Amino acid sequence: MAHENFEIADGVDHQVAMVMDLNKCIGCQTCTVACKSIWTEREGTEYMYWNNVETRPGKGYPRRWEEKGGGWASEEHTERTPGEIPSSEDYGEAWEFDHEGILKEGEDKKLAPEGGKPEWGPNWDEDQGAGEHPNSYYFYLPRICNHCTHPSCVEACPRQAVYKREEDGVVLVDQDRCRGYRYCVEGCPYKKIYYNAVSKNSEKCVFCYPRIEGEGPDDEVQPPACADQCVTQLRLAGYLDDTEGPIYKLVEQYEVALPLHPEYQTTPNVYYIPPFAPPQHSEDGETVDVDRIPRSYLEQLFGERVNDALDTIEQERQKVERGGYSELMEILQDRNPAEQYRLEVFSDD
Amino acid sequence: MTDRSTWTFVALAGLLVVVAGALPMLADARPAYEIPAPTVEEDLAGTDAAGWEEVPAAEVPLESAPSGLPNAETVSTRSVDVQAARSDGEVYLRMQWQDAEASESASAPQDFADAVAVQIPADPGEQPAIAMGSQSNLVNVWYWSDDTGTEELLAGGQGSTTAFDNASVQTWAEHAGSGENGTWTVVFNRPAEPAGDNRTVITGDEDLDIAFAVWDGGNAERSGHKAVSGWYYLPFAGDSGGPPFESILWAIAGLAIVAVVVVTIQGVRRARAGGGE
Repeated sequence: MAHENFEIADGVDHQVAMVMDLNKCIGCQTCTVACKSIWTEREGTEYMYWNNVETRPGKGYPRRWEEKGGGWASEEHTERTPGEIPSSEDYGEAWEFDHEGILKEGEDKKLAPEGGKPEWGPNWDEDQGAGEHPNSYYFYLPRICNHCTHPSCVEACPRQAVYKREEDGVVLVDQDRCRGYRYCVEGCPYKKIYYNAVSKNSEKCVFCYPRIEGEGPDDEVQPPACADQCVTQLRLAGYLDDTEGPIYKLVEQYEVALPLHPEYQTTPNVYYIPPFAPPQHSEDGETVDVDRIPRSYLEQLFGERVNDALDTIEQERQKVERGGYSELMEILQDRNPAEQYRLEVFSDD
Repeated sequence: MTDRSTWTFVALAGLLVVVAGALPMLADARPAYEIPAPTVEEDLAGTDAAGWEEVPAAEVPLESAPSGLPNAETVSTRSVDVQAARSDGEVYLRMQWQDAEASESASAPQDFADAVAVQIPADPGEQPAIAMGSQSNLVNVWYWSDDTGTEELLAGGQGSTTAFDNASVQTWAEHAGSGENGTWTVVFNRPAEPAGDNRTVITGDEDLDIAFAVWDGGNAERSGHKAVSGWYYLPFAGDSGGPPFESILWAIAGLAIVAVVVVTIQGVRRARAGGGE
């Protein structure tokens, strides 16, 4: 299918996409729990969080994932960047608790992880952030698989077990073909594929494909569980090539929704509205005209386009403040909830 | 020189020729790329089964497979000792290689298990491509790792291995010692003529091409990142003395030497006879 203004992968009819507005994330981890309850409460998946929410600035999950390589060396997509497999310690082991002993057998000990004091775990550096009082700052970054247009995990697999689904571009691991070699784990620069040491296969976020196919609760099309359960409803789910939908408008028309680490060259299909924060304060509490979240830090995460994105949002906001109308602000405020999940627009194809 | 002494000399020369011809054969007891595969009466089912004592071993050199995978060129295992034997309708292979420490389980994201595999053509009549065969010329792979156990696989090119239902291969495996003396021993066993499509039928009437691979889990070796051999063969065609052309060449050389000796002696005799007149 030809798309004039943007790129979707060869051989893919439509491309699922998600936009997350970081200004609305309160770090409650309801998305994380929703995902875990549905997908990773099986043996071997204890340490996995297909959806995680990490505090930024911070080391992330797995720890220092941005330093572990993967992705493409250039936008030509001919040479991949070498990557490494995170360690168990970097993911954080799933802690065991002696609930049975303490609650039922009356053992006199604190409810704490068994096997010694842990030194790292998912969300270990929650809310630490950076900066000095009164100008400290942090924000939350929810992450799922980006279902990339140029997925380096797909290219890394020597068995073609990782593939991009033709109908909607969802990236999946064929559990029958996978032999647990973990080249995909090395190859994904976002470290969003996980090895299951019990099944001996690798696995990942499936964009809740049974739900978006109508195989979920009540046999109706449902958005991915992470989006559906979000307390602040910060996620939009739909298709990038749905040119009438809010995702297309935010990503392609207004260019305010940006992929994480575009320099990895995988062309993610999860996009973020970058975070705003109040300006810095002086020692005596006066507001000063300095960004609290340094632009340089946001550029590290979202590339230089983050500056235009933030400027555009600021301009549109001021337009509304002056009593004007802004389609962008309407979209960002979810004034039309029916538009939030446009997952059936191509169902007649 | 009398006729009798002449023939004695010729006989001695002939003997020398035979010995000279046999020496290289004795020094190199079998042709290159042959893995002896005798029929053995005693038990072969086990890494230390008694029958292995009477089976000669072939040292098979290994090198990295050119897979193009990350770090594929760095492999740990340099050679594997291979023994092959037949016993009562069964085929057995014992493979032993040095590995300082056993990597037995892939229980963490960064852990990989040691593994070993044997590759044979699905159709013994035609030698497939060494790298997992091709779509038109399939291979059978007998695979073992301490993590996933034994697998009987079919492949038609790289990345195409598929497990047979109801594996007919069984294994015994043991790691002993440590450091320089650390050694894996793995025995594969399969019926010579199992049922099922695409399973190699080892009739015992023709040689069987065979290749080997070893993965060092401690070096994160897996998939095409492995130490591999070229094609070897099990001499099931009945002539374990090597290809016939070698014997023919030695026979021709021997006859030529005998002829030269005879002609030389005749010449000397004639010269002496002429000189005495």
